[in-house]
Amino acid sequence: MSQSREELTLELKKHIVEYLNLLDIKPEDIKNDEPLFGPDLGLDSIDSVEMIVLLDREYGIKINNPTEGRQILIDVNTIVDYILANKK
Amino acid sequence: MEKVFVTGMGVISALGNNIESNLFQLKNAKTGIGKARHFSSKYTESLNFGEVDLSNDALKLRSNLTNEEGLSRTTLLAYIAVEEAIANAQLTEEELHSFDTGFISSSTVGGMSNTDELYADANMKGKPSEYVRSYGGGEHTLQIVKRHGIRGFSTTINTACSSSANAIMLGARLIKSGRLKRVIVGGADSLAKYTVNGFNALMILSDNPCKPFDINRDGLTLGEGAGYLILEGENSCRDKVKLAEVLGYGNANDAFHPSATSDEAFGPRLAMHRALESCALKPSSVDYINAHGTGTPNNDITEQYAFNEVFEKVPPFNSTKSYTGHTLAASGSIEAIFSIFSLQNNELYPSLNCKNPIREFNIQPIAQVTPKDVNHVMSNSFGFGGNCTSLIFSKA
Amino acid sequence: MYITDLKAISPQKTYTDEFLTGSKVDHEGKIYNVIEPDYMELIPKGLLRRMGKAVRMGVGAGLPLVKAHPDLDAIVIGTANGGLEDCIKFLNQIVEYDEGVLTPTNFVQSTPNAMAGQLALMGSNRGYNVTYTNGGLAFEDALLDALLLFEEGAVKKMMLGGIEEISDYNYNIDSLADKYKDEIVKDVDLLESKTSGTVCGEGASIFVVENEAKNGYAQIVDVEQITYPSTEDLDTCLQHLLDRNKLIPEDIDTLMIGYNGDNRHNFWYDHISNNVLPNSNTLSFKNLIGDYRTCTSFAVWLSAHLLSGNTDILPRIRMREVHSKDFSRILIYNHFDGVRHGFTLLSK
Repeated sequence: MSQSREELTLELKKHIVEYLNLLDIKPEDIKNDEPLFGPDLGLDSIDSVEMIVLLDREYGIKINNPTEGRQILIDVNTIVDYILANKK
Repeated sequence: MEKVFVTGMGVISALGNNIESNLFQLKNAKTGIGKARHFSSKYTESLNFGEVDLSNDALKLRSNLTNEEGLSRTTLLAYIAVEEAIANAQLTEEELHSFDTGFISSSTVGGMSNTDELYADANMKGKPSEYVRSYGGGEHTLQIVKRHGIRGFSTTINTACSSSANAIMLGARLIKSGRLKRVIVGGADSLAKYTVNGFNALMILSDNPCKPFDINRDGLTLGEGAGYLILEGENSCRDKVKLAEVLGYGNANDAFHPSATSDEAFGPRLAMHRALESCALKPSSVDYINAHGTGTPNNDITEQYAFNEVFEKVPPFNSTKSYTGHTLAASGSIEAIFSIFSLQNNELYPSLNCKNPIREFNIQPIAQVTPKDVNHVMSNSFGFGGNCTSLIFSKA
Repeated sequence: MYITDLKAISPQKTYTDEFLTGSKVDHEGKIYNVIEPDYMELIPKGLLRRMGKAVRMGVGAGLPLVKAHPDLDAIVIGTANGGLEDCIKFLNQIVEYDEGVLTPTNFVQSTPNAMAGQLALMGSNRGYNVTYTNGGLAFEDALLDALLLFEEGAVKKMMLGGIEEISDYNYNIDSLADKYKDEIVKDVDLLESKTSGTVCGEGASIFVVENEAKNGYAQIVDVEQITYPSTEDLDTCLQHLLDRNKLIPEDIDTLMIGYNGDNRHNFWYDHISNNVLPNSNTLSFKNLIGDYRTCTSFAVWLSAHLLSGNTDILPRIRMREVHSKDFSRILIYNHFDGVRHGFTLLSK
């Protein structure tokens, strides 16, 4: 049974909170269009690598390097778009 | 204050098992980087390494340790280099056992090169392995202290890639303080699944042999090895051959990020400035720099930024990691030894694999073996945790 | 070198005043875990989320000091295992994912110099920064480096610390190496135990040390160490320390000693206590915190408080009383597995 975009988005947010160990942040708190590497969430280069691992382990999606990652890992929306386009 | 001299050196790396073979390869601009033959990992097919071309059994045989248990590869490499350094400096048994003789070592991997056994022991799977007491970073230090009957101060440092540079710095300071007359200093690290996978997880390993200072550089190549120097105070080595003087040193923290250098290279700059200030040496007197030069996008540009800031005219520089790979904790001492080769032989060795040098600062690494009157050399080591150290050696 | 500020996270309530005013946490069994503060109050979440226990403790104890003293010239830390928990978590990933795609945070946080690195980062401190990992002497070695820095005139004020965590994994490895007791023993009975093995402790003790006394707690005078000594070597080592400071054994009013209930190694402590310094009062410390490689940092913390006049702690650590002089000089003697031995001298 395929997931709706909404379900996938929430699931992704849960994974983000778990993989990055975001303390005090609930998945629902992350806005879909909030820049991940902006001042509010404050993620950095190590987190971008962790996100690449997340996408590989949870969705089978391979991103080869942080440069490639930067185009995709902008906000939750862009990642969901990428997953839907590439998920195995 | 007493001067500190280098009276002996010992090294084992991808370039060879002793001083002579390492120097030979440098003189012939021949890299030691290639496919690993002894190290076992999923990555040995796809990646290159600066491997010491001896199996653990072969290393044991060299040190007459065939029947001993619990010796990690790190320890085996360290034994060989320490042995060579002691012989090179002609240290007597009396000197070795004196309370005035110390030993300062360093390692990042330590006994963790036995990754599979560590996994089993840490998760209590099966019987304890022979390495159960050998995993710590300081365990190889214990084994060497025991082997050589060292009774003076001994310690182990871990500041990642600058570890053995800090060991050299501490050794010199202890001699100048009068607490020691002589000290064996250096470090050892062996290839391990732990570090291969760690650097791979950070995506800073290159698929190809590293290209320090090249525009197309894309990561580091891991290496292994051990390098040790014998430092002695001027008053304790009057009749000995002096290979170099430890003239100056500087240590600073970049305080920016756990695994990347700041764009303004605060740590590297400060370390170099402090090293020059420590011996009141003018930047223009530095004849050659052995750069940290790992070949990662971040390190090489920030290091050049730092050169440009510290030196009005940047001296010739290379990265010998293009020969040995990044030997982690051992890199400081191995590269100190290579720097001293230049002092002794009045020649500079080229930086390999740099076909398109970084353009931003209009400086290029040494391109071929170059004769030069070399009186002062600087050797840099910058590690995770922002740990930056710069050493200055002079002709004795 | 004078201790002017200090903080400890330990298996006692040392982060607050409670331990110093008489409270004691009882421990039983093989593991003495620390009593931790609420880190969310202390450490920015963005950084806290990545930290393993050793780094949390080091930063939890060190960061308030870094903030209170923005003029530190250096940070030097001793930690034998570093973030071993993170290390093993990464190792488990290596095995479980067969060296595939792995998350890097555990690797970066596992390096022993992560603590000194984090403290520098959070305090924007670009001073001299080194980490010692020399097993049971890692803290003593950090302490010597600090003394050297002051002698050289390189620093006026700096941070010095000793940190060690218990993780399931390092506990497992040390257990396999026969480090710990087989039976359950109460802390009050630990030091009298007639069996082999000790108990596992953890903690972070961090100090601000300066070149002036300034109403501080105590002076750290000197340190000596030796590895694999004979008893004669050990005596010579102590003699060097005394000679360098122009002291005789009678000048040491108090010996703080590392008895840990492991009867295999008591003879070292018996020798120093009965043969070399029989006229010193002796105090224990491991009944409070268990044993770990950098536990002398806690002994220094305790001694600093004793030398600055605290008496509430005494009943819990008194071993032998041969005189009733006030505290003037405390010599800490500790060894780890009878292999690495250290003497640390403090005075008023």
